[in-house]
Formats: sequence, C-alpha cells, structure tokens
Amino acid sequence: MALSNNNSKRAALGTGLLALAGLVSTPVLAQDAQQIIRDRCLACHTETGSAEAPSFSRISEQRKTPEGWLMTINRMTHLRGLELTREEKRALVKHLADTQGLAPEETEGYRYLLEQDTNLVENSIDQGLAETCGRCHSEARFALQRRTEQEWKYLVDFHMGQFPTTELHSLARDRQWYQIASNDTAADLGKRFPLITQEWNNWQKASKSDLMGRWRVTGFVPGKGEFDAWMTAAKTSEGHYDVTLEGLYADGTALNGEGKATVYTGYEWRASLTIDGVKMRQVMAADKQGNSLEGRMFVAAEREIGGELSAVRDQGKAAVVAVQPSYLRAGEPAELTLIGQNLKGDINLGEGVVVEKVLSRADDRITVLAKATGNEGLRTVRVGQAASESALAVYSELARVDVTPANAVTRIGGAGGNLPKVRASYRAVGYSAGADGKPGTEDDLRLGYMPASWSIKPADEVAAHDKDDKYAGSFNAAGIFTPGDAGLNPERKMSANNVGRLTVVATVADGSTQVEGEGSMLVAVQDFVRRVLD
Amino acid sequence: MKLNKLFKSAGLVGSLALGSALSAVAPTAMADQEYLLTVTRPNQLHVIDMSTNKIARTCDIPGPFGSGAMAVSKDGTHAYVLGNNWEDIYGFDIRNCEMTFSAVQSTPTIQVKSFQSVAVSADGKELYTVQNPIKKHRDRFEVMEPRLAVFNIEDGLNAKPVRTFPVDRRITKIAATEKGEVILGGADVKAINPQNGETRVVTKLANWEKGPLWLPPDAFAMHSQGEQANEYIMPYITAKFDSEEWNFETAEWWWGMSRVDLATGEAERMETIPFEFIIFNFITDPRDSNILYGSFNTLSKHDISENKTLAVYEMPHTYYNLNISGDGKTIYVGGTSSDISIHDSDTLEKIGSIQLTGDMTTSDLRVATIRD
Repeated sequence: MALSNNNSKRAALGTGLLALAGLVSTPVLAQDAQQIIRDRCLACHTETGSAEAPSFSRISEQRKTPEGWLMTINRMTHLRGLELTREEKRALVKHLADTQGLAPEETEGYRYLLEQDTNLVENSIDQGLAETCGRCHSEARFALQRRTEQEWKYLVDFHMGQFPTTELHSLARDRQWYQIASNDTAADLGKRFPLITQEWNNWQKASKSDLMGRWRVTGFVPGKGEFDAWMTAAKTSEGHYDVTLEGLYADGTALNGEGKATVYTGYEWRASLTIDGVKMRQVMAADKQGNSLEGRMFVAAEREIGGELSAVRDQGKAAVVAVQPSYLRAGEPAELTLIGQNLKGDINLGEGVVVEKVLSRADDRITVLAKATGNEGLRTVRVGQAASESALAVYSELARVDVTPANAVTRIGGAGGNLPKVRASYRAVGYSAGADGKPGTEDDLRLGYMPASWSIKPADEVAAHDKDDKYAGSFNAAGIFTPGDAGLNPERKMSANNVGRLTVVATVADGSTQVEGEGSMLVAVQDFVRRVLD
Repeated sequence: MKLNKLFKSAGLVGSLALGSALSAVAPTAMADQEYLLTVTRPNQLHVIDMSTNKIARTCDIPGPFGSGAMAVSKDGTHAYVLGNNWEDIYGFDIRNCEMTFSAVQSTPTIQVKSFQSVAVSADGKELYTVQNPIKKHRDRFEVMEPRLAVFNIEDGLNAKPVRTFPVDRRITKIAATEKGEVILGGADVKAINPQNGETRVVTKLANWEKGPLWLPPDAFAMHSQGEQANEYIMPYITAKFDSEEWNFETAEWWWGMSRVDLATGEAERMETIPFEFIIFNFITDPRDSNILYGSFNTLSKHDISENKTLAVYEMPHTYYNLNISGDGKTIYVGGTSSDISIHDSDTLEKIGSIQLTGDMTTSDLRVATIRD
C-alpha cells in the first residue's frame, strides 16, 4: 500500500483517534441521562428502586430500537408537554437505546423497518397479531419492541385513550376488540416479545467492538448506480464519529461525502452524510465482531430512494468484497470490476472463466475483461489469498427477471400542496433457469441486478378503463417512478386524483432477446402522518 | 323521462328555471315546515328551509368540530350536536340559534367520548348518549366501562348526567323509541330502558345464528337518519360462502340491515340487496318500506322485497349521507364535501343543489319537521 494513497492517510488519522478516544470518552454518562429523566420526566413518571439502579415507571419496562425511543420521546414532546433540549433528547435516545435496546438477534427479520425500506409485503407473524396490530402498523413496528405483559396491556389502553375509535375500525368492530387486545394479544406479545430475554442478557455482557476505522464500502444509489468507496469513521466521543465517504460510481463518476455517525446499542450504525450535495442517511447493523456492516443508504428527505449498503472493515488483510456486475454470460467477453482491499496476487475468477485482459488494477479495485466457458453456476473469485465465494454467476441464458420492489406504494404530491411526491426506485434482478430448465423454480440461479428499461401498464381492466397508466405517473431511465400531481383532476371520473393501480414492467436485454419481469404498484394519495417508523 | 319531468314542473309554475320551480312549488305542497340540518367545518349548524332549499340560518357551535352527529327533538324545534371531538353536546333552538343545552363530558382526569351516540326522548325531556370514559393517570390511560348517560334537557347549560347505566362497548348510533327505550347499535342491536338500565336484545348481529357458511356481519353506522320513516337502520355487509373453503371470490355478497321501528321498538333483520357497490347510508322511502335509497359514490334506489336495485345515479363525488322529504319525493344527498345534491326520488335525476360554507365531512343530514 503506497503511503501517498489518500486512503491510507485517513486510516492513519483514524488510528490516531483510536488511541485518544479511549482517554476522552467516559460512558455516555448513564448518570447524566438518568438525571435528565429525573428532571424532565418525573412530573408524570415515577421513580422507584435505588439511586444506583433506578426504575422509572413505563420507561424501565420497555426495550426499543433507537428509532423506537426517538418516536416515544417525540410523542412525549408533541402530546404530553415534554420539554427537552436537542442535546438532552440525543443523550436520552442514546442512553435508552444503549441500556434498553434490542440485541442483534432480536432485530433479525425486521431490519427493513429500521432501514426505512417499507415497499414490501410482510410475512405475517400470526393472523391474530396481523388483525389486531398489523391492520394499522407494520408488523415490524411491534416486533421491534420488548415489553412486560403489563406494558403491552398499557399499550392497548394507550391506543384506546389516544385513538378512541380504534375499536370501531374494520377488523375491530366485528369482534370484542378491546377484550381480545387487552387479554389475548397483550399476553401473546408478552410471550413473543418479552422484556427479559437471553439474547439481550448475552448482548449486554458481550464485549463490543468500536466501529471507528476504515471501511471498504459498496452500495447503490438510485439514479447514480452501484458504487464502491472508502469510508472512515473517526471517533469524536463514545459512540460518535465523524465520517467521510469517497469513491466511484460504476460509470466512473466520483462520489464524495462527509457527515456524522452514532452507534447505538453497540451495533446500530446511524449516519447522516452529505454526499455530493445530497443529504443521505445510513442505517446499518454491525456483525457481532464489528468487522462488517450491512444495511441501507437512502436520501434523507426521501427514504424510498435508497439502496443496499455494506461495509467491510480494513484490517490490513486482503479481501474481495464484491464483483460488479455479479454475472457473466457464457461466451461473451465482458468487463468485471473486483472491489476489495489489499488485493495482491493472481486473479482467479473460477472454473472456466478466463481473464482476457486486466484493464486497470489497484489494491482496492481491479477491472478485467473476462470470458466464461463451461457450465452455469456460481464461481468463487480469488485475488491472491483473498476469496469471495459465489461472487460471480456464470450463465448461458437469462430466463427470469424479478422486479424489486415486487410491491410498492408511491404517492401523489407536489402541485402546490404541502407534501412532496413519494417516488419509488426500482431494480431488476436476473435469474437463469437452473438445472431443470424452468424459470420460477427453486433451482433458478440468481445472477444479480441487471440494467433494465422500465415501463408501466394498467394493473387490470378497471385500471385500464380509468386510464391509470396515463395519469398516475411515469418512469425515468434510471428506474425511478415519479407519481402524478396531487389534487383533483377534472379529466378523470369523479375528478379523481392521479391515483392508480399499475403493473411495473422491467425489460432486460439478453443477447438478441429480451426478458420481462413485472411488479405491482399502488399510486396512492398523500400520507399526512409523519412517523419515525411505520 | 328527465325532459318530461322537467317540462311538467316548469309548466306548472310557468317557469323554465328549475331552481325557482322548486321554491315556488314547495311551500304549497307542504303543510308542515321541514328543515334540513347539517354541520359544516369549522363548526356551524345550518338550518336549511326545505321549501326553498335555502339556508334559513346558521348557528355557531362552540369549540372544535365534533363529527357533526346530531339528534333532533320530536317536535323539530331543537337539535343536539356532538361537538369538541365527540366530547361535548350542544343543543340549539333551530328557530333562532339560541343555545339551550350544553354538556361537557370530559374532566381533567377522565376523557369521555361519545361515538356518534346522541338521542332525544320522544317527549323531548331527556337526552341520551353512550359515554366511553378513559381514566387519565399520570403516566398511563385506563379504559373504563362504557355507560348510557341520561341528561335532563331542562337542566340547560352545563348539564350533568342524572342517571348512568353500564352498556356494551362499541356502541355507535342510538335512537329513542316512542315506547321510551333507547336503541343501542353495537355488536348486536339492543334496547335499554333509560329508567332502570335493563337491556334486551332487539336483533342479533355479531352473535347471529345464521349458519356456518355466512360471514359474521360487519355492521357499522356513523350516521343517524330515518326520522321520515320513524325507524333506525343499521346496515351491514355479509357473505354466504359456497363451501367451507371460504372462497371470497365465489361467495355471494350481500347488503343487509337491522331495521327498528321506532314506534314499537321491534326490529327486522334481513339481507336486502346483492353487494355491487359501496353504500355508506340507507334511508327508507316514507311511503313504502320496501323502497330504500343509498348514497356514496352513487345514489341508488332499491326494492328490497325483490332484492333488486332499481336505479343508480352516478354522483360527481362521494356523498356519505342522504335524507328524504316527508312526502318521499325529494332526496337530499350530502356529507363529505360542501354541497347538498337534490334529486327526484322517482328518477334519481338531479334537480338542484345547496352550497354550504364548509365541508360537511362526517356530519349527519337530518330533517326537523315543525308541524303546523
């Protein structure tokens, strides 16, 4: 690694801060946070327990994600007259998420909500919970909380007090909703999502790795494309970091950003960065060793516009973290970029894949012209000692295209109204048919994200009759759908808004043929309620 | 058909202008004076003279909007409106907008909501509402049992309940019968004696015993109307499945209703017409109890003796609510937006419109008849 390399300079800076950080940071002042609770919350909440281990009514019987605590505190501010300074609020969210958070395992399967990636249909946990809670909330909303049974009961009464018509809604008025929710549902939630768990006990005791340092990052930004970058996290105080991000989009355009990150609960990475003038947010979870981060990055003002984000810590070892694109059609030479760190030694793209030419090479990025022969399948990509399993898919024919998100909600807006349009960004995932030769079966081989052209059509006859495809919005070339203007449209039946039900079509070229995939989109009216979590 | 009707009306009064035709004809056609009552945002009670279809007067209701639910005294002189987000009740003499009654139900520690429920006894002396109290502890809510609250209307402003009786949860609209009971529309339709709290089941809904292939009814009524037919209607949706595979596609979907005769307190419950489109409210033609009208995105006319839809008129926007003149000839379709659409009950054709100063949203559309 050349010392003149910019990346290594930042790494050195990071290491310097590492040493300092241990000196300056004291634990985020659990006592300070407790004092904030005493000063600001005890007009309503009650303190019991000892001075060293206090218990605060309604607070100490719950565990939540950082977003969950933020929502609670926002609610206390908006509805209950809580007054906090910005610093006090930050300190409280940090303290509560750190001391009454969720263990990594407890967020598994529900991270999409934290990642603000809500264009998906949830796999229902249970019909009762879906009908009692999921009829208004995402199921992740309650699955990302832990409470005593009594607290779950209090939550039911909260709903009745705050939203008195709860028991009159559809899926409530046809049953003894309050009795069911207060008795059966609260008990069920208390068992499924209890306050005290082994996972949390273990995580509290586990040693946590500081996330300061240098990270090899890959991701996707709608409208810009895939990118690879280096991210540095320089510690400013316990759990707080200054962050820089510098890299390249796949088309060669530079990417530059900086901002701040906070790590909650020992593994929940939350960063706000301004990247090339656009405010972006990162939501990632660290693995238990603190050597990799996985999550999503999205436009701060438009959470639907985002993409996958992952980071691998630079530990001085060689690593291949991604191959872009992740597929190679047999018989056709194509450019592949190997993203990694400390990449030295021979390049091996796996069985039957020949590197025809190395187009460019650096320690962290190698671009080659490659050609595949032989059987379809996943290949392990190696550079020297570094290996990435199943990093490259060799295929002969594209057989299937999936549209992601498969189901999406966009919302009309703009046109002088208070709320902007809610757009959606799409990607197409290609598959080959696999050994059975039939697309849509379990053995289909996932090839990865593929460039596609995007179009819409009406979802059905009614949508066609109402010309939803004419009014509800349109795609750009980058796969971003922009819905129509808000407000009555006198051209439409009953002057309907520009809402619609659409089928989204991705068309992917493969050799001389084209393969289409479809998704479903609802172009809905504005959502006037702003929530931290849906 | 529409043209013929128009020419007949026009010929009768010697005018080609429809609006003036109505206003010229109507007074002679009615012995009693009918007023259409509704509430618009921000919080006004409008008293509309149904002989001219003009706003006669507008009464300001204190505090924030409630939902626009209201009860009208049997003599048509007073209207009692649920205000302040379902918490307060204000009574007005609709002849002069004088506020004659008020009840603030919530206290600093008990939040009390009435979900649409407000009714006046047949003799005009008592006012009924179902209170849904929630105790506000310092750091939590506690749900309390609902209760029927009885007010003496004579107590006037700042009235307090004179009696309360426990009732079921989820009661929405209520009505007083001529026999002195109060009909409670909840999971089942029940009646309570407001003197002693004794209840009886008038007709079952959630607990009906209709057979295993019938979907339990989804019954919900936000609005009170039916004064012209002296009845209380609780519409519902149900479905008859063709097997225990519960295939929603092949099931027969039905509108049904529980309909209580407010003279007797007796009810009939029946599936009325196949479910073809959404109807938010039904009213019965005062001349023929088999003829119903419904409103939402359409105004529709139905003959329930034959389970048939007779006519459908496409509305230019959604109208939650409707009511009818005492002679059964004119339908007023309102709610949701700021205009009341007037229709001929034979043809359903639009014959007029009343523009209000604000949106009715969920408000009731009721008729007060002041007899000669």
